[in-house]
Amino acid sequence: MRRQRAVRLLRRLLGSAVSILLLVTLVFFLAHLTPGGPAFSILGQKATPGSVAALNARLGLSAPLLVQYGIWWGHLLQGNLGYSYLLNRPVGALLWNYEINTLVFYTIAICLSTGLAILLGLAQGVWHGRWPARVIGAFQLVFYATPPFFTAAILVLCFGVWLHWLPASGIGNPRLAHPGVGTYAAHLVLPVVTVMLLTVPMLSRYFGEAVHEELAKDYVRTARAKGVGFAGILFTHVLRNALRPLVTMLGLSFPYIFTGGVLVESVFNYPGLGWLLWRSALGRDYPVLIAIVLLIGLLTVLGNLLADVVNGLLDPRADYE
Amino acid sequence: MSERRASLIAGLGLGGFVLAFSFAGRFLYRADPYTIHPAHALQAPDWAFPLGTDELGRDGLALLLAGGQATLEVALPAAVLAFVTGLAYGLLAGLGPGWLDKILMRLLDVFLALPSLVLLIFFAALARNGLSNTMLVLLLGFITWPGLARLVRNEVFAQRRRDFILAAQQAGAGPFYLARVHLLRVIAPVLVVNGTFLVGDTIFALSALSFLGLGVQPPQVSWGSLLQSALDIIALAPWWLLLPPGLLVFASLLAASLLGRGVGRGVLRR
Repeated sequence: MRRQRAVRLLRRLLGSAVSILLLVTLVFFLAHLTPGGPAFSILGQKATPGSVAALNARLGLSAPLLVQYGIWWGHLLQGNLGYSYLLNRPVGALLWNYEINTLVFYTIAICLSTGLAILLGLAQGVWHGRWPARVIGAFQLVFYATPPFFTAAILVLCFGVWLHWLPASGIGNPRLAHPGVGTYAAHLVLPVVTVMLLTVPMLSRYFGEAVHEELAKDYVRTARAKGVGFAGILFTHVLRNALRPLVTMLGLSFPYIFTGGVLVESVFNYPGLGWLLWRSALGRDYPVLIAIVLLIGLLTVLGNLLADVVNGLLDPRADYE
Repeated sequence: MSERRASLIAGLGLGGFVLAFSFAGRFLYRADPYTIHPAHALQAPDWAFPLGTDELGRDGLALLLAGGQATLEVALPAAVLAFVTGLAYGLLAGLGPGWLDKILMRLLDVFLALPSLVLLIFFAALARNGLSNTMLVLLLGFITWPGLARLVRNEVFAQRRRDFILAAQQAGAGPFYLARVHLLRVIAPVLVVNGTFLVGDTIFALSALSFLGLGVQPPQVSWGSLLQSALDIIALAPWWLLLPPGLLVFASLLAASLLGRGVGRGVLRR
């Protein structure tokens, strides 16, 4: 039922909102309670008590913590996420730039991963227990255990350094204002392949098991008995039913993919959110860190919600659960 | 030999190899990891340096052994800490009063709302001069436990209406007695499997953090930081510096996953 579904979604949304709120509060206070604070990171070696106090006053860090917290929320509600200490730019604009890169990167990587995972999973489900499934299983086991930074490093070594086939860093020639789509695409190949090697094993294994389970169900036997060909059964019936757990998995695996993404972006110097997170952490750039935590929390929730909605479209029964 | 048996044996062998290599290796190969041999900088493997040297001329194999020890000395205690915390938290939520369960689970959601690496990076960034190894143990333990806590709590919920638990409660058993005598025994297989995975999780998390320069601090090396320093000079193609630490992280994660599989399949069959 639509209504039931809407109520359930709303409740989950509220629950997630409370979680994110608590998390951001925790993160804000921790960041501002650390000894020294950001003034030390900005001034570095040259910090004197006087210069630290002056900078704190200028950054608004000398006010009581609760007041700072209130001001932060006031600014946030006006769409102002603060100012990056390190890059000297408003955090909102900064995040926007980096997020576009990340979105392009993830969209391509996730679409390709899902497509490949579906193919492998179908093969694994159909040939369950025979050698093709075993080969795929071995592939899944090996790449599931390979840390993404290692995969990325090997790819850089092979295709960037030894073979000189593909660029291994950045997104294009920084001296050119518009390096062109071709250059950008070439820079995306290795990061995308790394993320695929990270996500395909997990997704295809899960999907393969779902396909195997579906193939054993009564409706498959019925379809076969009434004369539907195997391809017909597989692509019209089984695929649609097995996709549901895959979609749920995709929604839930956002944190996993993002964890890999941070590492991949840092290896390839790909200017995305993960890279920004890493750089801000190394530079102790707290306004950016807090904003990224908030944004990623929101994206995680969004991933779960999206999976829920798509599942409702795939299978109306999901609304009654 | 069944597939489960094979997984178990391969996992034990691989895990044993990684442990022996990292803890006993230094007694067999006594070269000092931090001695600099400028004349031999960035040499490919030969008889004098079995795994080559880095750009400063430090012995690659000695660095790898030191890095392994540093990695495991942080990751293993962290896994134990996470295991104990997660278990206690899960039991408390599962056996305690309903309102406590609600609060505890809500708190857990806060931790699970973010990818754990993001939280790790954030907390590591709070320490201005990098984290000491003790702090790293606490941080990794603190970040990796929520998954296990939720699992234990759900397991307890699934079990606590079963007849033998109700009977024990009728006979006057308190929550501690129930947990100790009945529940732990029933959920032990789940605990073993997920405890194994926790070890893999902490090794991965620490390596990732060190790879990003936020984990084990120099001059101490770890697998993750060795990989990062090899990547810094990747244009010179130092494959002898890149492959060994990566393969060891890979071997540890594979061992954890094989062991979990081996034990897990057995649990399902029984």
